[in-house]
Amino acid sequence: MELIIGTFANVLILSSMYILVALGFALLFSIMGILHVAHGAVYTISGYICYHLAQAVGLNGWLSLALTVVVVSSFGLLLERLCFRPFFGEFDRSLVVGIGLILIIQTTMVITRGQESLSIPSFVDGFLRYGPISVSHERLVTFAIGAALLLVLVWFINNTKPGLQMRAIAQDFRGAIMQGININWISAIATVIACGSAAVAGCLMGAYLNLNPFMGDHVLSKALILVILGGMGSMTGLFYAGLVLGALDATLPVFFSGSVAEVIAMSVIIVVLLLRPTGFLGREIT
Amino acid sequence: MKLKSPFTGNRGKMIKPGACAGLLIILIACPLFIKSPYLFHIFNLTLIYIIVAVSFRTIMTSGQLPLSHAGFMGVGAYASATAAKWLGWTPWITIPFGALVAMGVGVIMGYPFARLRAVYYAMISLFFGMLIISSVKAFDTWTGGAAGLTGIPTLFGYSKIPYYYFFLLLTSVCLLALYRLEFSRTGVTWKAIAQSHEVAASVGINEARYRILASAIGCLFAGLAGATYAHYNGVIGTTSFGLMATILLLIYVIVGGAGSFFGPIIGVVLLMTIPELLRGLREYVPYISAAILLIVVYIMPKGVAGLANSLLSWFTELRKNRRTSNAS
Amino acid sequence: MLLELHKVTKHFMGLVAVDDFNMDVDRGELVGLIGPNGAGKTTLFNLITGILRLTSGKITFNGIDITEKRPHEVAELGIGRTFQLNPLFSDFTVLENVIASFHLRPKSSLPDVFFNTATYRRNEADIKEQSLQILNLLGLDKVKNELGKHLPHGHRLILGIARALAVKPKLLLLDEPTRGMSLDEIDLALGAIERMCEQGVTIVLVEHNMEVIDFCDRVVVMNFGKKIAEGPVDQVRKDEEVIKAYLGSEHAA
Repeated sequence: MELIIGTFANVLILSSMYILVALGFALLFSIMGILHVAHGAVYTISGYICYHLAQAVGLNGWLSLALTVVVVSSFGLLLERLCFRPFFGEFDRSLVVGIGLILIIQTTMVITRGQESLSIPSFVDGFLRYGPISVSHERLVTFAIGAALLLVLVWFINNTKPGLQMRAIAQDFRGAIMQGININWISAIATVIACGSAAVAGCLMGAYLNLNPFMGDHVLSKALILVILGGMGSMTGLFYAGLVLGALDATLPVFFSGSVAEVIAMSVIIVVLLLRPTGFLGREIT
Repeated sequence: MKLKSPFTGNRGKMIKPGACAGLLIILIACPLFIKSPYLFHIFNLTLIYIIVAVSFRTIMTSGQLPLSHAGFMGVGAYASATAAKWLGWTPWITIPFGALVAMGVGVIMGYPFARLRAVYYAMISLFFGMLIISSVKAFDTWTGGAAGLTGIPTLFGYSKIPYYYFFLLLTSVCLLALYRLEFSRTGVTWKAIAQSHEVAASVGINEARYRILASAIGCLFAGLAGATYAHYNGVIGTTSFGLMATILLLIYVIVGGAGSFFGPIIGVVLLMTIPELLRGLREYVPYISAAILLIVVYIMPKGVAGLANSLLSWFTELRKNRRTSNAS
Repeated sequence: MLLELHKVTKHFMGLVAVDDFNMDVDRGELVGLIGPNGAGKTTLFNLITGILRLTSGKITFNGIDITEKRPHEVAELGIGRTFQLNPLFSDFTVLENVIASFHLRPKSSLPDVFFNTATYRRNEADIKEQSLQILNLLGLDKVKNELGKHLPHGHRLILGIARALAVKPKLLLLDEPTRGMSLDEIDLALGAIERMCEQGVTIVLVEHNMEVIDFCDRVVVMNFGKKIAEGPVDQVRKDEEVIKAYLGSEHAA
């Protein structure tokens, strides 16, 4: 029973984090046409900054988290101005910039903190007990924050004016520009959202699991899978993909060994994409 | 989102056979004045990766972005290594065998994917590459799984020099073959498909067939390079053939210049050879690579080869103008 | 009969684009296909060349059933076409565009190509000569080294005709070949069409330009996917249905 609850909780948390990171990536691609491959690195460095603030500077956990988000989002604005805007719509050159950024960020982390795993001290302690079931507060809070943030983002994109403008740009760039939408402003907002959510995910995961300079790679590839499976330009598609992948991740290893499960998962994904190249709910890419 | 047409069209005029022969002679004579085995190791790796990078670009000329390419290098490597280690075949047989297996898998992948538009092909091939790696890890009794495969029989003994000459020969032959294809009617047909598949179909070009052909050839050479690598290194692991490896290949091609046959070669030398040579700087090496990447991407939109081509055309225009103004 | 369209129908979800369309084209004819915009003329071409699949009906070319054939197979059988939106090989030069279009005839086998045999070299020299001839014929020889993407509109259309000629078609489908052309260019295009007719190429022509239509042996009129009239140009001009289609009901009768 413990095991089932534990696995279930694990999958929920990991899925919500992956979706959070994937959302930022998808946002940047559909609005600015750039492949922000350094998104994983942003996620990673947030964890490290939070660790530094919490351990070295000794700030309170929540304050560290908040500060990290602010720092990373500001860094994101700089990124947008210097690295995204010059390569607007050019996915091959943005890829190169992204790799360059990844190299710089990862190397800096390896040099300053070394390659061993670190762990951010938990934000909350204690357990919740209900009869025979006990779940750590940490798990609950992590999931709660992740889910809450996702809901806020969904609300933002669907119900606010900037969100509407983002969707307009994603659907028809020229038309949106002609309507007078300020692309620079919207790009900036999108970048802040993307980097901010990656930062939150990075800090939470840094406490929940641990930190290493290359954790971003794994998260990025998961995010990539979600974006492709869910379909370009569809947030709901992303969610469905996240659920499907989470379910696969949870159930397959029960019946098969790790790598066989991966083979099955990949084959399923390929078949799905062959039958439906645009992903679950994506639009045709023009 | 359009896959940028992969040629700035120098139409092969830049290659002067004399210069190539000269370069070859210098390379052959290298062991006379360079003695460090470490340097030859780097040369060997460079030669191998040149084959992989150029074959990657060959597939790109047909309008497909094969984000599984490093995986096919792996297919060749593992097929050859396992055949040699467990079946006892000599590497001289298993290497062509590995190449053919890679080509076979490339055709199998090509068939269902050849009707997909460029973007979707790129995405699906990405997953296919991951499938290859997962499959290798799953069959770990033979492949050594995630830990890697050791004890692979090598081609020559301990010294790097025989390998060096072997790779010089191999790479030259492969480059010649790929160059020939690129500037022949087959290459023209590939580039036609990449630019407009409707127009290509209207003049009778069977898009699917030519795309599969491109996959087959690209994978053949990638597999060949991989198999050769396995029997050079003696050890292989899945990290060299995964998604990151393919992305690196793509970066080599983009930075070197996707429009030119020599782009990938320049990319490999700039981003693999030079950082390896600077190994003394240890942890700081990625900074150098990052610097090269950022410099190229900001100032050279068409890669190094693209810039070279532009300079060349600008130069020839200048000379032409000066000649006509002298004549008048 | 070279081309036979029998009860050709095409549905797009709820929309009927081509409705029970019948048409026969004899060898050597120059047939005009006219009708208001949106009548289904380009769709018809796309159905013939296999870009779209028929919902029902049958198309026969030279005795062969081409209903299910794909575009490159249709081209191989000898049907060439131009496109209205006129895509071309934008990174190739004009000359390369035409050379690339000589894919079918003469055809070098893969070994010939790879080993640069005498056969291959002969074929390629042949192709280059024929390409230059076509370009001369159509007046494009001065721009033969211009990149496709730098060509002005009229030249692109003429290049489309050049490309279609390289296929050495028995039947040529021209989709608005003079649209947006200057008067000089129209003369060039007309000259090319005349010469092709002399050589026995069968041509079906979609046009809005009546000057071009006047050359046709016969005209077929389409509206809302249906054939509403057929016959010599003068006869069709006076047909009530045709006038209604183009100008509205008040002008008829």
